[in-house]
Amino acid sequence: MKSVVTTVVTAADAAGRFPSQNDLEAVQGNIQRAAARLEAAEKLASGLDNVTREAGDACFNKYAYLKQPGEAGDSQVKIDKCYRDLGHYLRLINYCLIVGGTGPLDEWGIAGAREVYRTLGLPTNAYIEALTYTRDRACAPRDMSPQALNEFKSYLDYTINALS
Amino acid sequence: MLDAFSRTVVSADAKTAPVGGSELASLRDYVRNGNKRLDAVNAITSNAYCIVSDAVTGMICENTGLIQAGGNCYPTRRMAACLRDGEIVLRYISYALLAGDASVLDDRCLNGLKETYIALGVPTQSAARAVAIMKSAATALIGQTNTPENGGTKYRKMETTQGDCSALVSEAGSYFDRVIGAIS
Repeated sequence: MKSVVTTVVTAADAAGRFPSQNDLEAVQGNIQRAAARLEAAEKLASGLDNVTREAGDACFNKYAYLKQPGEAGDSQVKIDKCYRDLGHYLRLINYCLIVGGTGPLDEWGIAGAREVYRTLGLPTNAYIEALTYTRDRACAPRDMSPQALNEFKSYLDYTINALS
Repeated sequence: MLDAFSRTVVSADAKTAPVGGSELASLRDYVRNGNKRLDAVNAITSNAYCIVSDAVTGMICENTGLIQAGGNCYPTRRMAACLRDGEIVLRYISYALLAGDASVLDDRCLNGLKETYIALGVPTQSAARAVAIMKSAATALIGQTNTPENGGTKYRKMETTQGDCSALVSEAGSYFDRVIGAIS
């Protein structure tokens, strides 16, 4: 799992040396920003179900045709799966905020996603719309502190770019 | 390889649950005590040579058969291999202490180590004793409990702020115990 610490340790191990002062400084930099990340993760975790529902609603409002027969959301089962997937993306963003890197999204969310969506005939635009709504809806200090929100939005943008 | 943060994430993913609430408490501990942890890693790396050479010397003093003809630290080529292994083990322990998780130690150092030692005829009891001496030296340096009497000419006091390092001392100790457990 890629994070600042594992990157530093991998590099030190490849060179066969003990962690140097540079390595310790890199970890220290990560720790300094950790408070905002952990705050964002905590707030997201506690509101995950609500955020997921709002994002899904926004997506089906914009692309109402998705609920027509033959489209990706033409039955309640399929609609539920859309909400579930959005919940997965937000959960992975929660993990990224914990780790302090894009490792969880890369390994569990993005790798292979394009192929899966193409095979299943799913529109990635719908996911982008839902995540964009979440990004624009979140505001400081109502939801979380400005620095925490900044961290949260950067991972939303990362996901949006990966799906685009 | 995992660290304290990704370990939490991997176990949360197994339950498909987000990380929040109580699980964040231990991570906030890691963050709050981050500087102590870096000082602890520094205490090990800055004294690595001393810790390793003292441990191997101590191991031989307790069992002088090792450096007599036929012993496992005779001739110097095998003694050098012993010193090298001590440094490698200590290096992986320093990685684990930095990451706050033992996975790097398990995956890259301990996995298959006992089998290798048995195949090469290395006495694992002596190796475990050397690791135990490294443990005493390293934990004394991290917790600043070493004294001029114990340290002798090698006495060294790390110039860090005084504070309670007992959690890190026991965490570091647990990694040494893990090595001892894996090879004996």
